Amino acid sequence: MRRTDMRQLWTMTASDLRQRVRDKSVIIFALLVPLALMFVFNLTFGGAQDVTLEKIDVAVSMPDGDQLAAALVAAALDSEAVQVNRTAAPADEIRGLVQSGEVAMGIVVPEGFGAAVTAGQEAVVDVVQGDQGELEGAVVVAVLQSVLDRLAAGTVAAIAGGQLGLPHDQLAALAQAAATAGPQFTLTEGEASTEQLSSSATLVAGQAGLFLLFTVGFGVLGLLAEREQGTLARLRSMPMPPGLIVAAKGLVSYILGVVATTVLLVVGGRLFDVSFGSPPAVAVLVLCVVAAGVSLMFIIARVARTAEQATVSQSILAMVLGMSAGAFFPITAGGALGQLMDLNPIAAFMRGLGITNGGGGIGDIGTPVLIMLGFAALTAAASRIVPDRGADL
Amino acid sequence: MSTVGAIAGVELRRFLKDRSNIFFVFVFPLLLVLLIGSAFGGSSGGRVALAGPDGSLRSALTAALEDAQVDVNVVDADHMRELVARGRADVGVLLPDEAVAADDDGSDLQLQVIPGAQAQSQVTAQRVHTAVQKLATEQGQVAALATAGIDADTARAALGSAARMVSPPRLAVVNVSEIAQEFSGLGQFDYGAGSQVLLFVFLTSLAGSATLIQARRQGVIRRTLAAPVSTAQAVGGLAIGRLAIAAFQGAYIMAASTLLFGVDWGNLALALLVMVTFALVAAGAAMVLGSVLDNAAAASGVGVGLGLVLAALGGAMYPLEFFPDTLRTVAHVTPHAWASEALAEIQRHNGTLVDILPQLGVLLAFAVVLLVLGSWTLRRSLARAI
Repeated sequence: MRRTDMRQLWTMTASDLRQRVRDKSVIIFALLVPLALMFVFNLTFGGAQDVTLEKIDVAVSMPDGDQLAAALVAAALDSEAVQVNRTAAPADEIRGLVQSGEVAMGIVVPEGFGAAVTAGQEAVVDVVQGDQGELEGAVVVAVLQSVLDRLAAGTVAAIAGGQLGLPHDQLAALAQAAATAGPQFTLTEGEASTEQLSSSATLVAGQAGLFLLFTVGFGVLGLLAEREQGTLARLRSMPMPPGLIVAAKGLVSYILGVVATTVLLVVGGRLFDVSFGSPPAVAVLVLCVVAAGVSLMFIIARVARTAEQATVSQSILAMVLGMSAGAFFPITAGGALGQLMDLNPIAAFMRGLGITNGGGGIGDIGTPVLIMLGFAALTAAASRIVPDRGADL
Repeated sequence: MSTVGAIAGVELRRFLKDRSNIFFVFVFPLLLVLLIGSAFGGSSGGRVALAGPDGSLRSALTAALEDAQVDVNVVDADHMRELVARGRADVGVLLPDEAVAADDDGSDLQLQVIPGAQAQSQVTAQRVHTAVQKLATEQGQVAALATAGIDADTARAALGSAARMVSPPRLAVVNVSEIAQEFSGLGQFDYGAGSQVLLFVFLTSLAGSATLIQARRQGVIRRTLAAPVSTAQAVGGLAIGRLAIAAFQGAYIMAASTLLFGVDWGNLALALLVMVTFALVAAGAAMVLGSVLDNAAAASGVGVGLGLVLAALGGAMYPLEFFPDTLRTVAHVTPHAWASEALAEIQRHNGTLVDILPQLGVLLAFAVVLLVLGSWTLRRSLARAI
């Protein structure tokens, strides 16, 4: 590229950038709206996600002298899964205690529970849950279910033993043995991936990625506005290669995208106390995702006939790509659909931020970088091939 | 009056003829109702990503988890960690090779559980625990009979027939919490449809305020005033046009979600009344925005941003009932929160007109203030050079 070309490129870019900054819309769309959304989303559903289990109060009613009932309650409430403050209460008061919020949960073991279980007859343990301790309560319910499974297994084993002609006095021991004789299955906490973004970090990364697709439109899609206003024809009459005009628009998009995304990640990170890890690696991710976004705008610029069509297609693509990347809530998809969604550059960007958040450096973000650059290369190539529908305007 | 009607009619026709609206007005809201419905009303007992070699242990665990209504996704170990890290599974379970070998020869075994960061993860982890214990007791039954001198196959057959004779003890869980009661009678798509009506009535109106700016910029309003039309008639026509657009958007989502997803609106006439009152507020807000700003691009930016932020704050994205108390109070600065309460009253509690009078009153007050302010700023903006 000659020096004059460079100077012309920069003149056009600088003039566009100046216009875009004076025109408040880029500041609103690229910075204010996403920051406001991050703030409100974080306020309303950001906090709902990261929680730890707390100690809950549980009221219990069970028949006196029923060993199985006592064993059930002890196993469920003394488990390590949830810490419990246990109080005894009459069965008919338990619902009221939960409703008034005095206890988080109530358990009613019916009269004759032990005898019914041993005889293989139906016994129903009532559990009452209230406003508080919803999660803790769900954990206790799962533990109760586990103990009931074990009791039922003992009964089944005893009845099977009886059918097979084992002496009657062995059956109780058999029922006990069924719960303990098998191999021990223990669960240990495995090594988690450290690449997990907290819910606040997901909001910041997702909104930054989503609004990037709006921001990059301010440069490239300006080509259509200039064509409609007739200024493009005038620019083309200037003594410079026509490619330079397109390059300048691309550069405007790129600079706006990089600046806006960086500001969103830094300010969002500060506001919600989130760190995305190694700055050089994050910078690489930002450069790549902006490249992917800008290439996408070039396709829109070719396919759309008018500036209005371009804005609409841009908004649709931004919403669809942003939402399927999980900018608002995580999207679960397995199989081919999941793999297809992983090719989304915004999803790759968020994935990359997860990796850097977990301490990954430039060497670890190869896959997301390849996805974003591959997307950029493919869409850039496609934008050369698709017919320019607005050319005759 | 016919002049006012004609101007309003043109506004609505322009809105309907604009093909760029097809996606955002007709398709996108329903997509969101579908998405929220599947996220909200799903009856899943959690999502587990399971990694480990194919074999009896993996299939037994999968079956036990599925019995407990847990969705199981069988993947390789790296993919499992990634799914958990990205929030696409609540819990990851890894069956190490040693565990599979131990299962084959009936000795003790260790499984690895990798919980995710979401709240639901701890519950799902406990369900995994319960499913694993169930596998262990099944083996325990056979082992107990074996110590009594019965061979494994005979034991399994006897256990199978005994299991059919027994009614196992079970849990009956009742939830008396207000939130659970609130949502218990609600269809899967009912909350999503109600909230999307509010979100889109406001969003479409505010984003559409840009057309008001174009009409001023391109001189359409000045030309209208050149005809024998008073400023009051022109402003009235534009206001009713805005209302028609907002109410059209709301009525469309209500009709389409009823037909497609079987959404129950409770007393339909009352629900429509709430929607139209809310549309009045939206029309007023659009008038204010479209006459205070002179830049169409900035107006659609502010419109979309404000539309989304107010909806999120007003409980049209995430139910108000789940908000912390202070935030729920703050939420009532938005009209969305009042309309959302009124719709909830009608949809969930068979509310009557009297029950929703307070909410309707507040919405009407919002509407009157914004419409008066909007008409005043619009009249002033007509006198302003643009």
